[in-house]
Amino acid sequence: MSEQPDVSAFCPKGDVLVIAEQILGDLQPVTLELLGAGRILADKMERNLKCLVLGHNLGDIPQKLIEAGADEVFVADDQELYLYRTLPYRRVVVDFLESLPEPPHTCLLGSTTTGRDLAPRISAHFETGLTADCTELDIGPYDHKNKVDPSKIGLYPNCLYAIRPSFGESLKARILGPWKNPQMATTRPGVMTPNKNEPGRKGKITSVPVNLQPDDYRLIVADTVREVAKGIKLTEADVIIGGGYGLGSADGFDLLKQLADVFENSAIGASRKVVDLGWIPYQHQVGQTGKTVRPKLYIACGISGAIQHRVGMSKSGLIIAINKDPDSPIFKFAHHGIVGDIYQIIPEMIKQFAEIQSGRGVKAVVGTH
Amino acid sequence: MSAGLNIYVLVKQVPDTGSKAGLNPDGTIDRAKAKRMLNPFDRFALQAALHAKRTYGGKVTAISMGPPPAVEILLETLEHGVDEAYLLSDRRLAASDTLATAYALYKVLNFIGKPDLIFCGLQTTDGDTAQVGPQLAERLGLPQVTYCEDFHMEDGKVHARRIIEGGYQKVVAETPLLITVANSYHPLEYKSFRGAYRVRRLARDQEEMKKFIHTIDLDLVGADPDRTGLKGSPTIVAWTEKVGELGGSCVMHEGQSAHELIQEVILASALNQFLVPSSSTK
Ligand SMILES: Cc1cc2nc3c(=O)[nH]c(=O)nc-3n(C[C@H](O)[C@H](O)[C@H](O)COP(=O)(O)OP(=O)(O)OC[C@H]3O[C@@H](n4cnc5c(N)ncnc54)[C@H](O)[C@@H]3O)c2cc1C
Ligand SMILES: Nc1ncnc2c1ncn2[C@@H]1O[C@H](COP(=O)(O)O)[C@@H](O)[C@H]1O
Repeated sequence: MSEQPDVSAFCPKGDVLVIAEQILGDLQPVTLELLGAGRILADKMERNLKCLVLGHNLGDIPQKLIEAGADEVFVADDQELYLYRTLPYRRVVVDFLESLPEPPHTCLLGSTTTGRDLAPRISAHFETGLTADCTELDIGPYDHKNKVDPSKIGLYPNCLYAIRPSFGESLKARILGPWKNPQMATTRPGVMTPNKNEPGRKGKITSVPVNLQPDDYRLIVADTVREVAKGIKLTEADVIIGGGYGLGSADGFDLLKQLADVFENSAIGASRKVVDLGWIPYQHQVGQTGKTVRPKLYIACGISGAIQHRVGMSKSGLIIAINKDPDSPIFKFAHHGIVGDIYQIIPEMIKQFAEIQSGRGVKAVVGTH
Repeated sequence: MSAGLNIYVLVKQVPDTGSKAGLNPDGTIDRAKAKRMLNPFDRFALQAALHAKRTYGGKVTAISMGPPPAVEILLETLEHGVDEAYLLSDRRLAASDTLATAYALYKVLNFIGKPDLIFCGLQTTDGDTAQVGPQLAERLGLPQVTYCEDFHMEDGKVHARRIIEGGYQKVVAETPLLITVANSYHPLEYKSFRGAYRVRRLARDQEEMKKFIHTIDLDLVGADPDRTGLKGSPTIVAWTEKVGELGGSCVMHEGQSAHELIQEVILASALNQFLVPSSSTK
């Protein structure tokens, strides 16, 4: 084994590839975010940004991907790809990557239930590195000196920096794997900034063959239920009162509605747990698998603040949390934390807020949190 | 189903995130000092595996890869009703990333038998990637159901409900199958009396214990050491940076009457701007 490997061998040209995600013809926002992040990486290395989309009857989705920043879009269209299933999608992606004259430099997917299902299969097949749930991506040099494996020593000019929180978000880790392409990452929805949409932007659209094997049919989808939020304008509300399992029962939401009524343009949000329990319809769910909201004020009532809830609301202007457990994770990122029982705190809130509105209550200093 | 299902559950020992002990000043973990526990997500996987056994018959084997103290969590799984356990422990595994971990676990599974069902936790609290399960499924060439919230079996097939963005999906899959279990699955039940009794007995008899908790290494399972550990890992953590407690600036209000608490919050926060004077609308 030579001490100084030829580093150029590790930095093949390779483009940046985004694997798009659509559910029942709905292009997922994370794809546009990935194209935003991918554009920056591709420009830094003077490479192209490519995008692979799988599905059936995709309509104007390929063109939309170009307008969102892709230079070339590869389309795998087949009725067997209408719904996401691990094995057929894996087959098409693997075949596609193997058909390329050289692997992409970087391959990005969304850190969604689909991306996190598919990406590890691809990475294991190609034995390439994969970093989960990134919140930042960059390209830069890396000088590897660790002698455990001499074949890896060297200065790598263009590495994917996959940056992600770890250990309950108390650390930020920069993870690299420049030794093998594609360098893979999934990115957390709602974090990267999409490109400005360029209507009429031109790019190449190429179709990709689909050759499924009998083994790919070992799982079928019997039913897909997506309850797209309509009717309530959770994403537009200025004030959201969020309710969680701490409410104790569905009736607790009556109290939350009274609190919401105190404010203008307000709405009720909920954790997944209470939605699953049937206390409130899915349309109210906030979080990774619900809505991402950014109200001016979010009052979290009896919500523990699990990561999947937090990613849907942590960008709210002012977060006030009520929880009887002082060690609850919600107090790690709320701006104001009230330790107490919802059923004592909220009635008092309603009372004092009403007093303020009638000009009688305490005068607050208007300022930032 | 004749002889019953061959069920595996993959569990990992992780640092106890609840306790601050064992955190280096730079925020990395001092694994020697940190308290340890069974990865909380794996409790759901364990529950699913035991449920499958109790409902459809068969045997549950727990597998873990980690340093020798990981025997603790394997004993814990036995207390809950797991039949047998394997610990893959080998210095050459140090610094394995998810790909190298999945490779090693794949070798273990090949070594001990043909699975019908493999249950993994959704993710670990230390690695936090949710990748090992699907990467293992890829190595084994199996279908997978990730984010599984519930399942039952019918005619030898698994009917499962899995989480997707904005809803859920119902799928039907053939076995052998790998399932990663979401934390919305049923919580782990209490230790069984029989399991706890069994572990207490085993603890007194090391020879007997070795029959049920097998400590194995890379050579025994025929794994290529170059494909594990730092060497076999395509990724490395180049550096970490402390971001401090999230937000870090929560102003706490506690220990007073509800009336006083709310007054305090109103005074301290920018809440007032949302409370339009009654003269406007409402
Ligand atoms: C793939 C996946 C996707 C997910 N997507 C989402 C999502 O989109 N949104 C989401 O919210 N979750 C999601 N989850 C679930 C998430 O992990 C948590 O399980 C969930 O958010 C917890 O809900 P909770 O806070 O209401 O309940 P709990 O975690 O049970 O918390 C209840 C809290 O109420 C407090 N409490 C109890 N009684 C009182 C009282 N009387 N007064 C005050 N406080 C009280 C308790 O101290 C506790 O902190 C997802 C999980 C997975 C695996
Ligand atoms: N060292 C390990 N030993 C056994 N199982 C593991 C190990 N690492 C990960 N797993 C399994 O893979 C799941 C996902 O882990 P991770 O990809 O690290 O988030 C865990 O919940 C375990 O079921």
